[in-house]
Formats: sequence, C-alpha cells, structure tokens
Amino acid sequence: MHIEWLELTQYRNYTHQRIEFSSGVNVFIGENAQGKTNALEAVYLLAMGRAHRTSRDADCIQWGADGARVSAQVVTAGRPRTLAVELHRGAKRAEVNGVLQAKMTDFVGHFQVVLFAPEDLQLVKGAPAARRRFIDMEIGQTQPKYLYHLAQYQRALQQRNALLKQDRVDNTYLEVLEAQMADHGAEVVVRRHGFLTRLHTIAQRIHEEISDGRERFTFQYRSPLEGLGEAEPISVAEVREALLQALAVRRAADLQTGHTSVGPHRDDLLFFIDGQPVQSFASQGQQRTIALSLRLAEMDLIRDEVGEYPVLLLDDVLSELDNTRQQRLVWSMSEKVQTILTTTALFPIQGNLRLAARLFQVRSGIIQKEG
Amino acid sequence: MKLPGIGPKTAARLAFHTLNMSEQDVAAFAAALLDVKRKLHECPVCCNITDRTPCSVCADTGRDGRVLCVVQDPKDVLAMERTHEYNGRYHVLHGAISPMEGVGPNDIRIRELLQRVADSEIEEVILATNPTVEGEATAMYIARLLKPFPIQVTRIARGVPVGGDLEYADEVTLAKALEGRRQV
Repeated sequence: MHIEWLELTQYRNYTHQRIEFSSGVNVFIGENAQGKTNALEAVYLLAMGRAHRTSRDADCIQWGADGARVSAQVVTAGRPRTLAVELHRGAKRAEVNGVLQAKMTDFVGHFQVVLFAPEDLQLVKGAPAARRRFIDMEIGQTQPKYLYHLAQYQRALQQRNALLKQDRVDNTYLEVLEAQMADHGAEVVVRRHGFLTRLHTIAQRIHEEISDGRERFTFQYRSPLEGLGEAEPISVAEVREALLQALAVRRAADLQTGHTSVGPHRDDLLFFIDGQPVQSFASQGQQRTIALSLRLAEMDLIRDEVGEYPVLLLDDVLSELDNTRQQRLVWSMSEKVQTILTTTALFPIQGNLRLAARLFQVRSGIIQKEG
Repeated sequence: MKLPGIGPKTAARLAFHTLNMSEQDVAAFAAALLDVKRKLHECPVCCNITDRTPCSVCADTGRDGRVLCVVQDPKDVLAMERTHEYNGRYHVLHGAISPMEGVGPNDIRIRELLQRVADSEIEEVILATNPTVEGEATAMYIARLLKPFPIQVTRIARGVPVGGDLEYADEVTLAKALEGRRQV
C-alpha cells in the first residue's frame, strides 16, 4: 500500500501544494514551524477522516480561507484510488474516486496509516481517554462496523446521561436506553477484546526485541465490567447480559450523580513491565519503548487484517529513538513499507537509507523536492 | 421571515415571480397560506395533520382498522401512502423521545396511542419509527408499554434497498439484512 501523490489546498499553512512520493522512504526536512507535520497530518486525515492533532476540523483550514481540500492517489491491493476530504467551517465531505460518501464512516478504511509521534507518550502516561482513542482508531481503520456500534453506543449513553439529570425519570425509558447501550456496547467490547488479544502477542514480541529480552511487557484490558478481560473468549450475548446487569445495579447511584458510571466508555488499558504497573514507575525511556512497540505491532496487525502493510508516518521521532535497537527496528520497518517522516536534521538517518530516500525541503508552507 | 431551504437568491426569485402573477392567483396563494395556519390541525384520532375532523384516512371505511402503523412525522404517512401497499390506519407521534433535546414520552403522542389501542379493535401495531438511536428507543419504549395488550407488535425490517446492488450496500446495512433474513 502506498500513496503516489498528495495535493493540499488552503490546508493549514499550504495555499496550494502537490507532492509526488517515492514508494520507499520520504523525508520532510525543515526548521520548526514550517509545516512538516501539517503535511503528515493531511495524509493521516485521508486515512482516518480526521486530523490527529485537533478535534476541530476548522483548525485545519488556512487562516482567512473558507475551506480546505486534501486529495491523494493511493494504491491499495495494486489498484489506484483517489481519496479527497474537503473541510468547510461546520461541514466535511469526503470522496472516493470522485464519488461523494454519504457518511464519514463510509470513507474511513480505504487506506491505512500508522503514525508514531512525540504525543504517543500520552498513550502510556496520559488519561484513559487517550488509550481508548488509540483502540478506537485502530479497530475503526479495518472494521467500519465497529465505528457504527461505537457511535450508536455513545449516542444512547448521552441520552441516558441527559435522562439521569431530569427531575422525574421514566424508568421504562431508562431500561430501553440501557438495552440499547448493552446491544451496541457488547459489540464494542467484544471487538476491543479481540483486537487487544492479538495486539498483545505482537507487541510483546517487539518489546522483547527492543529490550533484548531483559524486560517482560504485558498489558491488560481493564473493563469496568467485572471479571471481563481475564476470561476469554467472550461472546456478544454474555457481554450484553453483563452490561445490562451492571447498568441496572448502578442505576440508583447514577441517578444521584447524573452520569453513567459503568460501560465501555470507561474502559482502560493497563501496562506492566515485569509485572509492575508502568504508569506509576516506568522511566521516560521505558514508556517510549512501550509506545513504539504498540505502534509497530499495529503495522503487523493491519497487515494481517487487510493483507498489506499500511503507510508508516514518523513525526519528528528520530531524535527520540535513543537506543540503536529502537532505531534499527524502525529502519527495518521502513525498508518494507512506504515511510513518510519529518525531521529537522538528516544526521540520525543511516547512510544507505539516506541515499535511497526522497528528500523534500519544507520552508514556510512550500515543499520542494531536492535533487 | 425565514423559510427553510430558501436563501436570499431564491427569495428574490420568488418575490419577482409573485410580482408577475395574476392578482387572482396571488389572492388564492395568500388564502392558502392563511388556511395552513387557520384550518390545519391534528386529527383527534391519528394525530396526523389534516383540514377535516377526522382526517380522510381515519374517515375512510375501506381501510383495515385492525392494523395500525406508528410513524414519527406526517411526512412518513405520505411516504407509506406512496407505496399503495398499506391499507391499515396510522398514528403520528410527532417526533421521537430524546432527553438531550428535552423531548420526553409525554411530549409526543404516545398517550393518545395507548388510549386508541385500548379503545379499538386493533390487532397489530407496526412500529415504523426511523432507524436512529432515538427512533429505535422510541419503538422499544412503545413496545414495552403495549405488552399488556393482547395484540401483535412488529417493527419494520431493515435491509438492502430494492434495485440496489449488494456490492454497494454498506456493511452495517448488509449485516442488518443478514440478521433479518427469511426462509424462502
């Protein structure tokens, strides 16, 4: 899978820009705040339907412009396809081969990327929401139905929360909403469980490679549904029943607080090194190793799911890969897949890779191919 | 005054068109607009919008009073009528329950529906609310309230559109169609 060209119109600091990629390693080189990450973000937007650094699409529109457009030709399974996303203030439209997609969930999944960025440390030490987002984005990339169930679950959850805050609560209606949450929530939980089980095996292997077998990395899917996460495999029917019961049990307490205290919207991932919880004791280096292991594991998972490797995006992480083993792992991956990376200096890139790479100079919103 | 879907350009076009109409037509148009406000009301039986009491569907003796189709909006009645396949009666809810928007069960015509089921010879209630979270929840809610009655309660099926190609149906629709499959 690779991206052939990318075109940006009034996107962030780019007025109009076209970039022709090589199917190997591509390097955006430039000073800070010139727009390197913006170009990477645009590629991410085409895969995920949203930008990774902001939840507000309007942030991506060039200052003073009405709307932005990002388009690209991608090749998946040997077939070229053009993808485009247009952002307007308050509206978004997406096209595949020029055909307008009715919903963003129809658009996501035509093209896959894995992004490794400095913010990824948040995956380890940040709030649970960061880890849920990671899980949701990854499953959503390959299973559109997951996003449907997640959206339905969240809508029913919002309705339940709104109902809980009312003075007089209709119990029958509360039960109906809980049944809906259980229906969609169970689909979400079972898919998360399956994804994390597979991710665990691969991430563990990669982590062992990076740490040279000195550390043992494990993680645990922590769902507020009691007992879940340890017992496997789990069925949708079982989880639905468990969710229904948990919601009923918490009903009185939830009525007091006015929000829903149990369900997949509170899921979390707990990381351990040699059995010790990472969030409380691990060093910066160990946390980065975990984040990198998860990202590289995603590459393999997506390949298993769609049959070929996704495009690897590395945002300014070269200087952060502090040991040679980490670097070697990233480089061995870039030899297999199309890689787009940003950097302020070329020196961290090894000799032969540097020779094979296509270099782009980025200077205040203008990208120029070198050589 | 603002009308939905009419921007400044369309408004100007309509204004100039009205200028060119005969006085008779303009008077009829104005009278019709006034009638919308003065004569249209909810049918006391089915709650649909009508200018008669009861509405033409409720007054039609050729219709099957044993089957009742519950819809969210008056527009949905028109859609059902276009099929020419349905000969039962209707009940219009005027919305779906949505606590987020402050719409509770008492804000839509559920009480009227229950009264109607209790009072008449209805044998089947078809729940034809929209396939959204709110539409589904409203259908499930009504189904629970109707449990005590000795009637059949059904929900319209969801699936692949007629004339559509399976290849182009989205995964969720296709999965729903698979769930609702029937023996042939």
